[in-house]
Amino acid sequence: MTETDFTTYEPDNSLKKGYRSLFSEIFSELNRSRWLIFQLFKKDFVALYKQSFIGVLWAVLLPLVAVGTFIVLSGAGVFNVGALSVPYPIYAILGTALWGLFSTGLVASSNSIVAAGPMITKINFSKKSLVIASMGQALLAFFIQLCLVLALLVYYQVTPSPAILLIPLLIVPVVLFTLGLGFVLSLVNGIVRDVANMVSVVVTFLLFLTPVLYAKPTTGVLAALTSYNILYYLVSVPRDLILYGTSDYLKGFLLSSAVAFFVFLLFLAVFHLTETRVAERV
Amino acid sequence: MRYGLSDISRNLCRMSSHSNVLREEEFWALKDVSFEVRQGEALGLIGANGCGKSTVLKLLNGIFWPDIGKVAVRGKVGALIEVGAGFHPMLTGRENVYLNGAILGMTKAEVNEKFDDIVEFAEIGDFLDTPVKHYSTGMFVKLGFAVAVHCDPDVLLVDEVLAVGDISFRRKCFKRLKELRDENVTWIIVSHDAGTIQANTDRVVLLDRGEMAYVGSPEDAINEYLYSLSLKRVTPGSNAAQVVDSRSSKQSVAADFEVDRVVLLDKNLCEREVFATGEPFAARIEFTAKKKIEDPAFGVVFFNGDNEICSESVTSFDGVRIEKLEGRGSVTLKTDSLPLYSGVYRLHLTVRDGSLAPLAEMSHAAYIKVSGGKLFSAGMFYMQHSWDIELDEDRIGSAPRAV
Repeated sequence: MTETDFTTYEPDNSLKKGYRSLFSEIFSELNRSRWLIFQLFKKDFVALYKQSFIGVLWAVLLPLVAVGTFIVLSGAGVFNVGALSVPYPIYAILGTALWGLFSTGLVASSNSIVAAGPMITKINFSKKSLVIASMGQALLAFFIQLCLVLALLVYYQVTPSPAILLIPLLIVPVVLFTLGLGFVLSLVNGIVRDVANMVSVVVTFLLFLTPVLYAKPTTGVLAALTSYNILYYLVSVPRDLILYGTSDYLKGFLLSSAVAFFVFLLFLAVFHLTETRVAERV
Repeated sequence: MRYGLSDISRNLCRMSSHSNVLREEEFWALKDVSFEVRQGEALGLIGANGCGKSTVLKLLNGIFWPDIGKVAVRGKVGALIEVGAGFHPMLTGRENVYLNGAILGMTKAEVNEKFDDIVEFAEIGDFLDTPVKHYSTGMFVKLGFAVAVHCDPDVLLVDEVLAVGDISFRRKCFKRLKELRDENVTWIIVSHDAGTIQANTDRVVLLDRGEMAYVGSPEDAINEYLYSLSLKRVTPGSNAAQVVDSRSSKQSVAADFEVDRVVLLDKNLCEREVFATGEPFAARIEFTAKKKIEDPAFGVVFFNGDNEICSESVTSFDGVRIEKLEGRGSVTLKTDSLPLYSGVYRLHLTVRDGSLAPLAEMSHAAYIKVSGGKLFSAGMFYMQHSWDIELDEDRIGSAPRAV
């Protein structure tokens, strides 16, 4: 019977083990929790859609309404979408699908810890799984909207570039970015409950500020801001790649992806180091 | 909120959160609680509500980290705490079994393997594929319990949920739990039920407001618990030392009669303070009558910690006639078997004369501390009794007689 057989809990537990073992700990936990993540996702899915008539189609309906509004507005000349070589509906829906990964994902993940309720304080299980499972909703919605885009591509007889096959890879940066932010927001939300509400508001606001549904402005404050807007690159460059096969902002995309990756790892570690504090106060 | 954010940031910067120092509005939920449990041993945790029992379980389960000290556990920890955790009302029983199993740390293969056992144990039957929101509370709890009990832990933490549901299910629960015990699973049980604790534990820790008040055998710890509980209630605000001396709370009503003292005696007529349930007991009332008093009556009432009357004995009700009192004397109430269970009881004394005018009234004439003796039969009091057994020796091995 050696020391290592024991699981020990001490004050400021994670500090003692040092940063290096941190990631091996985290990833072995995630590896063990694969099935749990799937079960949690399934629970959210069933809970959401079981007794609803339209069910899964809600994932399609809401973005369609948003996009439909934009289509009407652009047709009325309210804003300028710039010269597009594809029909606006395709451009818009693909944009909202990619943006939805961020917006739906962030709102769901920042709420995930609090939504689990008494489970957190009574049972010791992998809390990271809660956050990751909540991304499942966003991924599912994305997939459904993608099918809609494919249908539209057929309808308008537009051929996308071969990059369309790389979609799973192209969305990795935005998903990692969202998860990273979700980890830290879910924790803070456990202690300061306003956070989740603020997130919803801020995300909506960001949608207007980020050129997803309209063309990137070339002058003015917004143009300058946008060139530093990580989300812009993470959402619009995959769209460019899928539709045109090339993008003017590849460098920005790669840089933003690096940032996204870093954010993910950083906040995952933060979560791991501080998750029990939240159990005390949630 | 402030403290939470500050703790989190300190932890991140690898600074100690100085958790050993109390901040304003904080208090020690547990203080200096230390114990060791070996494999296969069963430890009970008892104490009044809010004394920190569930906090100990949370520490053992790894939900909180201690602020001072260390918790070390070897083996997989399972908990019968939030039975049915994660159950979602919209999911069916089947789906919930998988979900709950995953949350409790079982693998997919494990749940698949034990699925049939779990379902059979839970007695859900045809309702397995109905959404759980349609289940009765009993079914809900049975299903949750069935999953938790098939977890295969090395250390089992139980928080008051030892057996639930109807009688046949409870019996099944106990049987399964006994099987776990036989498999050398280590137990920590929190319970308010003395019988459960006594039947299932080897050692018991008594907690009082976060501190360990007593560690010992189940009987002793429960004794100590009941005793300290009623001590607090019978003499609110006073401590044990004062109780001993508080026989001075006299309230003489008449000037011509005075109760000198009330003494508690055992079977050898020695003065004592602590008695065991079921043993001989006597209370002697020594008095001085300054004037001639005709036809007095003495009444003694025993009150428990909740101020309920346990027993009342009055000389005149029992047909005991005292012609007159003059000068000093004593009246003794005796019983061969004290029926009171562990605790502290208050003796209330009333003395009246022949015309029922009160001569003396003492609401705290004495405190009887009962500790040990015949414990753990259920009930409010202990009835002295004996058993007669008759067996018909001739009939062994033959056919039953027609009735």
